[in-house]
Amino acid sequence: MHASVEQPHGDQEAQPLLVVRDLQAYYRTSHAGVRRGIRAVDGVSFTVRRGEIYGLAGESSSGKTTLIKSIAGAIKPPLEIVGGSMEFAFLSGYGGLHRAARAELERIRWRHLSYIMQGSMNVLNPVRRVRSSFVDFAYPHIGGSLKQFEQLVVAHLARVKLDPSVLTAFPHELSGGMRQRAALALATICRPGFIIADEPTTALDVVVQKEVLGMIRGIQRETGSSVLFVTHDMGVHAHITDRLAIMYAGRLVEEAATAEIFRNPLHPYTKNLISSLPRIGEDAPRAGLAGAPPNLADPPSGCRFHPRCPLASEICCREVPVMREASSGHRVACFAVNGGDGA
Amino acid sequence: MVAFIRELLRYRTEFRIGLALVAVVLLLSMMASFSPYPPDSVYVVPPDLPPSLTYWFGTTSRGQDVFWQVSFAIRNTLLFGGTVALVSRLVALAVGLVSGYKGGWVDRALMSVNDTFIVIPLLPILVLFYFVMRDRISWLMLALIMACFGWAYDARLIRSVVMSLRQREFTQTSLFSGMTTRQILTEEHLPYVVPILFSTTMNNMVWSIGLEVTLAVLGFTDINTPTIGGMIYWANQHTAMVAGIWWWIAFPTIAVIMAFIGLFLLAVSVNAHIDPRSRLWSTGEAS
Repeated sequence: MHASVEQPHGDQEAQPLLVVRDLQAYYRTSHAGVRRGIRAVDGVSFTVRRGEIYGLAGESSSGKTTLIKSIAGAIKPPLEIVGGSMEFAFLSGYGGLHRAARAELERIRWRHLSYIMQGSMNVLNPVRRVRSSFVDFAYPHIGGSLKQFEQLVVAHLARVKLDPSVLTAFPHELSGGMRQRAALALATICRPGFIIADEPTTALDVVVQKEVLGMIRGIQRETGSSVLFVTHDMGVHAHITDRLAIMYAGRLVEEAATAEIFRNPLHPYTKNLISSLPRIGEDAPRAGLAGAPPNLADPPSGCRFHPRCPLASEICCREVPVMREASSGHRVACFAVNGGDGA
Repeated sequence: MVAFIRELLRYRTEFRIGLALVAVVLLLSMMASFSPYPPDSVYVVPPDLPPSLTYWFGTTSRGQDVFWQVSFAIRNTLLFGGTVALVSRLVALAVGLVSGYKGGWVDRALMSVNDTFIVIPLLPILVLFYFVMRDRISWLMLALIMACFGWAYDARLIRSVVMSLRQREFTQTSLFSGMTTRQILTEEHLPYVVPILFSTTMNNMVWSIGLEVTLAVLGFTDINTPTIGGMIYWANQHTAMVAGIWWWIAFPTIAVIMAFIGLFLLAVSVNAHIDPRSRLWSTGEAS
């Protein structure tokens, strides 16, 4: 997978598609009177512009999925939004999908916002033909006659290089890659303005992965939509995203254009992350980062990375670093980078 | 539907045998409409005659033609089993789907009712019903009572399947696409539990017919309506086996066993064929 990275395109001055401000999403459980809170997302702010692919990277249990669940409004107990807001360009005044009125949600779903789920090759009902899944999930949001809808589906399937005959097949008769592409077609058939993609290619081998990524890119270009792309695979990020945010233990630590992150990582965590990536021609063993990600039920004080950070100083244990612009469009949350007072 | 049945006929030997057996039993039960004698009249033919060309299945000690009696009996017994299965399937499906999908307090409330029905000892309750109601107990009422007791196990089975479906990605997608709970249950989850429903229908019919025969043999039902159990009851009352009137017991027994085996084979083969994976396997192997 090569690391060619497109510069963010589209109108920078245009109204952003999604503004997330200081989002806090906790899992709150109560067992036998003992209350526990898992601070899975704690004070995350970022902006997704129109027509860009915004990447979100981070290791397992860093809160990526919780963050996009919150954005998609898929909030079920024990997950709770404790604070912050999420403003969409197509939905103003609610501060997030979870507070939106039902009628508004009906209007938005699929047409403006769609969601390619983790394990998206399983979004098709295993005991129904692929056509039924399309009719059940997407048809109510498009309307018109069923015949027109079918023509639309066939045309859209061609875009992901699928034969119309897959419509009469059962999901188990298709290969993993075909199911993945069918899921992609299902998520994009209404040409939504905003697509949330949660590890859409994780289960695929690299060849199919590249193909599917190319299709996501193609559809995104064609429809001008924005994509929030989540994966832990840095190679995929390098391949597809315009801007990239790195998440660690429920907080964003760095955000910049993808090329910038790979070329000039500033946060010590990002530096370690980037230097851990294998490069062609280098056979020196990679040094790992000591320690393990913290338990989010009882996160470290101050900067959550300080127990593992080679640059940690006394202030890191006391205060939480805020995201500051280190250079134009490159934000980072680190006292060592931004200056010791954190101001 | 026609294509489906043709496929079944072509690829499933069990289906062909099952269909033949059920067809014979159904034909026999439909003959009841052409009976020359009303089912409850006695001494309409000479008693105790062995099977002959005039009386195919012989005659009883009560002067009834066994052929026509079996015809009425198997019809009533099948109607009984079908009614119990239909009513109890509806309850089991509704409770299982809702309980499994909703979870939480809905699940706890429904399952506490469900478990109550599971632990109630059935036979003593049915006998109790008979002693309280006596002559007012009709086969329809007995069927409804048994349906009330017959849904609990299968509701739990369906619930367990739906609980796992609830966590699948396609359920999440349906939810995200704005489908209502009713739509998700009927359009996405119901097709998944239909094969289970088929096999439980079979089990349920066998269970209810078996129990009805048990009650009837003991005389704890409306013995004037001819059923398979009712016939055996009367045969026992007239000590048919001691008197050598074997045909009085043999023919109803054969009829009900044919119904059992036929329905079982149908259920098993349809069940296997509804599951697309096993269908591909069998058609692929046969072609």
